[in-house]
Parts: sequence; C-alpha cells; structure tokens
Amino acid sequence: MGLLERQFEENVLTTKVDWLLNWCRLSSIWPMTFGLACCAIEMMAVGCAHHDIDRFGAGAFRASPRQADLMIVAGTVNFKMAERIKRLYDQMPAPKYVIAMGACATGGGPYYKYGYTVVKGVDRVVPVDVYVAGCPPRPEALLEGLMKLQEKIQQSSVIRRPARTA
Amino acid sequence: MDFRGILDRLKTARVPGLLGADEPRDPNPADKKDKGRRGDPFVWVEPRELPAFLERCRDDERLRFELLVDLSAVDPSKDDPNLWIVVQLLSLAHRHRLTVKCTLPKAEARLPSSVPVYRAAQWHERECGEMFGITFEGHPDPRNILLPEDWVGHPLRKDYVFPDEYHGISCK
Repeated sequence: MGLLERQFEENVLTTKVDWLLNWCRLSSIWPMTFGLACCAIEMMAVGCAHHDIDRFGAGAFRASPRQADLMIVAGTVNFKMAERIKRLYDQMPAPKYVIAMGACATGGGPYYKYGYTVVKGVDRVVPVDVYVAGCPPRPEALLEGLMKLQEKIQQSSVIRRPARTA
Repeated sequence: MDFRGILDRLKTARVPGLLGADEPRDPNPADKKDKGRRGDPFVWVEPRELPAFLERCRDDERLRFELLVDLSAVDPSKDDPNLWIVVQLLSLAHRHRLTVKCTLPKAEARLPSSVPVYRAAQWHERECGEMFGITFEGHPDPRNILLPEDWVGHPLRKDYVFPDEYHGISCK
C-alpha cells in the first residue's frame, strides 16, 4: 500500500476502507503449490470437489511463490528443506501468511526426540500465523485453519495506525 | 537351494573370503542361561574380500545371485568396537536367498566398494557412508545421498551427538 500504509487516525472512513481492503485480501488467499509429506495428501483433498477450498476463494494453487499469498507448510520440515522454505517465503510478495499444517510443521511431531534432521517446528524458520493440529489433520481442520486466518486478516489494520498499547 | 546347500556350494567352489556360518538353534535344555538363537542363517565374510565374494556368488552357475536386494550397516552397541555390514542377495533363477555379514572396526571403517559387481550397491553404499561413516574405496560417487553436504557426524552411530544448530536454525 506504499504511502497510504499506517498513515491515518481511526475514523469512520478509514475503518471502512480498511474493511474493504481486508475483505479483498481474505477472499482471495492464493496458496502456494507446496507439499512436504503426508499432510500434503490431505491438502490435496481440501482442494478437490468434496471439501472444495474454492468456496473460500483459496483454490488457486500457484506454482510460483511470486503469485502466492499463503504458504501451507504441509509436512515434515528437515534442515535441508528449511533453507529452501525460507527462500520461498522471502520470494512471496507481502502481505503473506503461513499456515503450519500438522504436528511435524508445528513442533517436529513424532520426530521431536530422535529426528536428527527434522526442524522442531517451522516457526524457527518463518513466522507462522495459524497452527493446525493433527497427524495429519482432517481436511475440515485445514479449512478451519483457513477460516481462522481469514478472521485474523479481518482484524488487521492497513491504512490505519495500529492501536497504541499502553 | 536351502542354506545348507548354498553353504556347501560356497565351500566346494572355494569362494574367497568365507569365514563361517551362523545358524539359528534351539536352546540347550541342560544350560538355563542358553537361550538359543532365532532369526535367519547367514555367512560371515572377510570385508576386504567382499566384492570378490559377491562376484563369485553372482557368477557361479549353482548360486546365480543376480540381485543385490540390500546393503546396509548396523552399529550393534556403544561398547562394541565393530560395525556390521549386512548384504541381502536373491537369486531369481534358483529362487533362493543369502544373507552375508562382515564386521568392520569402528576406528578404521573402510572396505572396497561392491559397485563394480552390483551397480545397485551405489546408493546403498552412499547411505552407509553418511549414516555410519564407512568409507567404500573405489566408489564412483561418494557424496551424501540424504543428509546435507556439510552435515557433521554420522547419525546412526550409537555414539552420535546431536548438533546444537544447523545454519542458524536451532536443533533442540
């Protein structure tokens, strides 16, 4: 948003503009085509007709990070992959969001103790907005995570100054 | 052929490197501490002679082990000074199998590569190399296959110490 970003006091006009911008963002979250392990199978199920992630405007899986808004980290992250994930995240244009899907991406999962090359949670590499529990999560759980992310986007302030904390 | 038949053939054909055989047996009823041994029979082989042994197993008309099913390693214990190499062979022509084992000292874990005999050994030996720190002399491409190139240590060794961080990412 460049010059307009976080420049204005809170009033009726800026609130409505922010609402509109947030509505645009949350209604077309394009995820990146990107799966690491078994969670990716559930993610594919979410994209198919039965669960149909297109209902939320998030069905356009992009093959390039430069066109994507959302990175769904679906699966086990090892150290070899973590550096690639960081690079992919850096290539995404802001605003960008990350969902850590499943136990492995959240905290290492079953590899927490003896997994010598497993990163104990993808939040050590990139900032995570929503954690989805499960091993792997049901498709409904990922949709719930997506709705939580939409709620989070709805709360964000784009052209308003962020509320001062005492 | 069953294991006894294979063993007889290995002996009569004078296959190089054969040290002995180990077969499962029942516990001795007189000795209460003796629990016997379960599992499959296998042969012990001298590690320096392993490629020559495998070549004869492959080419002998009565054995004809065309297929190297697996080549892996074992670290039996922290106190054991040796590693094991375990090779599984399969003959499709004669429909029989053979398990071959070698011991290698941990301090000097090196043996000649079996790739000239079985090309299937290539990736198995790379995996053994990075996971156990075994050097296969004469391997055509001895890079890491699973771990990053700059990974420190050999994770499947019993004395492996977990790293604190890798490229700035905490491992704890």
